[in-house]
Amino acid sequence: MSRVYKIASESSVIVYFGSTIDPLISQEVQKSYLALKAEKCEGFFEIIPSYASLMVSYDVMHFDFDAVCEMIEKIIHHAEDIQMSEPKIITIPTYYGVEVGLDLELLAQEKNLSIEEIIALHVKGLYSVYAIGFAPGFAYLGEIDERLATSRLASPRKAVPKGSVSIADRQTAVYPSQSPGGWKVLGRTPTAMFDASYEGLSLLHVGDQVRYEPISKEEFLRRGGQL
Amino acid sequence: MNGFLVENGGMQSSIQDSGRKGFSDIGLTQSGAMDELAFGYANFLVGNAFNTPAVEIAMGGASFKARSEMCIAICGANMQPTCNGHKIALWQTYQLRRGDVIAFGFATEGQFAYIAVAGGFQTPFAYGSFSTSMKEGLGGLEGRKLKAGDFLGTLGARCPVDKRKLERKFIPKYPETITVRLLKGYQDEMFDAQAQETFFNSTYTFKGEGDRMGYRLSGEKVVPRLTGILSEPICYGAVQVPSHGEPIVLLKERQTIGGYPKIGSVIAVDCFKLAQLKVGGKVKFKEVTLQEAQRATKAFYTFFKEQEA
Repeated sequence: MSRVYKIASESSVIVYFGSTIDPLISQEVQKSYLALKAEKCEGFFEIIPSYASLMVSYDVMHFDFDAVCEMIEKIIHHAEDIQMSEPKIITIPTYYGVEVGLDLELLAQEKNLSIEEIIALHVKGLYSVYAIGFAPGFAYLGEIDERLATSRLASPRKAVPKGSVSIADRQTAVYPSQSPGGWKVLGRTPTAMFDASYEGLSLLHVGDQVRYEPISKEEFLRRGGQL
Repeated sequence: MNGFLVENGGMQSSIQDSGRKGFSDIGLTQSGAMDELAFGYANFLVGNAFNTPAVEIAMGGASFKARSEMCIAICGANMQPTCNGHKIALWQTYQLRRGDVIAFGFATEGQFAYIAVAGGFQTPFAYGSFSTSMKEGLGGLEGRKLKAGDFLGTLGARCPVDKRKLERKFIPKYPETITVRLLKGYQDEMFDAQAQETFFNSTYTFKGEGDRMGYRLSGEKVVPRLTGILSEPICYGAVQVPSHGEPIVLLKERQTIGGYPKIGSVIAVDCFKLAQLKVGGKVKFKEVTLQEAQRATKAFYTFFKEQEA
């Protein structure tokens, strides 16, 4: 596949691998990201992957634009051949009760589905981590069943509770901490998404796969979940 | 214990260095001093390395009490600082004695002031930086702005020389109208010739819609061909244009990825200038070449590196 290198700023270059959410493109981004990270290049400050692009922020004392593009291309040129190890599958226990699934009823109406059907559709998916952003440990997972695809709330919430399992468009994510947000909330997990005690700080990393596991209210509370 | 007691945190004061590096891929914002120039001069004056944590005071209203002898310098926005009620000058060192109270009014010029102390503030280091990211509640002092009763440890060092003053020619001005250099990039082709002409020929006003994350500028609307793009990484200075058509310049506490079209990025050294713009201030964008942009960034960091040597 062809890659396009573009200026992001005088010290950042963005590499486009495509322009759509596509598992193949995303895998190429992930391989390139892992290859670049493994290289530990002096003068690379940040390597940020997203759905179909990757940005490198670099030290202008070390590289000019052409040199940094050459360096990146050299490293990721063979990334396509990298045999990715089996992705790590992480299970996120989720309590899908209406007292924490703040938009379950709204969504049931909107989609003309029962709450049980919505939960079943959300649980059956095995999702890939496409990107992490918006907030520390906020992982964009895709793609959810087409029948669940939904717009963001017309007026975002000022405070989405920590651990909220949510959806927007064909994506799903957990809010790692209480924050404003407009994704529709289906449930809540007692598992921390971002914690200083985790190796790598974030529970999820780009390239991981995620499954949601429904748990009872008792189990949710037992695992330290907050209503 | 040697240190600085916060008597009043003011509007928003926080510990900052030049920012976090290497954690954007898990969503941590860069954070760091909004104006690295004033921050850098403050550290330079007290004999610190460039990237030493300092107190950033936004807008003003803060006061501090020295609990021990220390050498400080205040640079950046003019908030009419006083020591025990007597006016003191910016851009130079002061040897404080135990019990001295440094107080700030509100900024008449600029937005951000920095207090550096010889030896640096002895505050916690987290995720590769001393910087506070207030939205994330990370870094600095418990991830929050400073409040009365906070204690900022110092080494109690004396001033490197009796009194060190920044040469007048280096002292920046904070005019009400600024021109910032923009390097085109990202989705610049999504802005047609007319949109770009409008963008580069208009004067925008900063109406105060903004914070450490970024500044929204009001004025002539610039409409990109598409209103949204697939979410992608965002760099320092990126200028995004949502469907309302008004540019937003993303600064130190920006989100790491986002889905609005971007015309390019304001170069780093001009982001520092923009950060100091007061409410009501005017901004013009001027296109810059990559070579000139990199030259400016190199010159900035080389200058401070040479001071360390």
